[in-house]
Amino acid sequence: MPKLSALSEIQRKSMLMWPCIEHDDTPWTPMAKSLSESKVGLVTTAGLHLRGDQPFRSSHDGGDTTYRTIPRSTSSADIIQTHTSLGFDHTGIYRDINVTLPIDRLPELVEQGKIGSLSDNYYSFMGALRDVSGIVEDSGPEVARKLKDEGVDVVLLTPT
Amino acid sequence: MTTTGIVLIEEHAQRVKPPRMLAVPFFFGNALGEADNPEYQHKVLQATFDLLDRDQGPVLEQLPDDMVPDILMQGSETTNESSEKGLNSADELTELRAYYEQWMNSHDGRTAVGGSSIPQRRFRGVVRFIEGFISGEETDMKERPEDINVPQFLRLCVNDLKAFYYEARMAQRPDGADRDIHDWFWSQTAMGALVMALGTHMSGIDDKESQAVAFGIAR
Repeated sequence: MPKLSALSEIQRKSMLMWPCIEHDDTPWTPMAKSLSESKVGLVTTAGLHLRGDQPFRSSHDGGDTTYRTIPRSTSSADIIQTHTSLGFDHTGIYRDINVTLPIDRLPELVEQGKIGSLSDNYYSFMGALRDVSGIVEDSGPEVARKLKDEGVDVVLLTPT
Repeated sequence: MTTTGIVLIEEHAQRVKPPRMLAVPFFFGNALGEADNPEYQHKVLQATFDLLDRDQGPVLEQLPDDMVPDILMQGSETTNESSEKGLNSADELTELRAYYEQWMNSHDGRTAVGGSSIPQRRFRGVVRFIEGFISGEETDMKERPEDINVPQFLRLCVNDLKAFYYEARMAQRPDGADRDIHDWFWSQTAMGALVMALGTHMSGIDDKESQAVAFGIAR
């Protein structure tokens, strides 16, 4: 986003009052090997999923903390978005899903030798959640285990 | 595992303190900068992966703000003129169908329509469903799965209708700016007026779920 000072007062207050978790410190995992030797996974909070998957749901009690699996081989034609927020412009995603989920860009980086390889599956959560405890306690660790089981070294996180 | 990522609101990353984050100057919906601009998307990705080289954190760096999309225009910023022009949503759907199909054909079948699972050729029925709901009728669609209630299903229907209109308009005006498409939808189409009326109606229902859905339909 542009600096909050550039937004309207309502938008600025909305962003500043958002109930995100506050931490005192940061878990730190250094790179074990170079990116060109690493397997990269992709996790997004864009509310994307396969056509035919259960849609994400609106909720008055914090939001939908489930996740969906998007196999790397999925065509962009088979991915849709049921993100529950109206607070963003969907036009770019209609035009090109890579603007939030770089499914075509990452293989290009593999071809260029900048990334070693990609995981077989990507993972998608809802964003704009007011209560993320379901992710912290359940769905987040579950996805982390799946990524580790695939031998992922580096995870790229994208919002929408 | 080592993580790196993109954040749209830098102030939130300052509070959460993830290990490595690139703060980008783009509005929601444009995390990698710009649609159909692979070169710029690679620039954002490179800057995000560059954070992996830092040896301590939290790392929160900024991408230079040399490209900033326009602020999203909401429906309430406009006055809808469709009723004065005698337009109705059902006829609009018919008129836009060829453009929507043109969009799909030129994008290898890719479309954002699909959340409701209702084929676009049945969208006139969706309009009747929404109109009936607003007027207080006991209304439903056979395509609604049992585990998705009516308010949630209405949201999925609206998402599909909007995507249909936007994609049709992008086929009709390939060089149109995003803001012009929003302005067209909310101020000139009968569908924009219908969606706004649905959002207003649902926000007045004494049910928190309906109100939550309304917030994501129109404001």
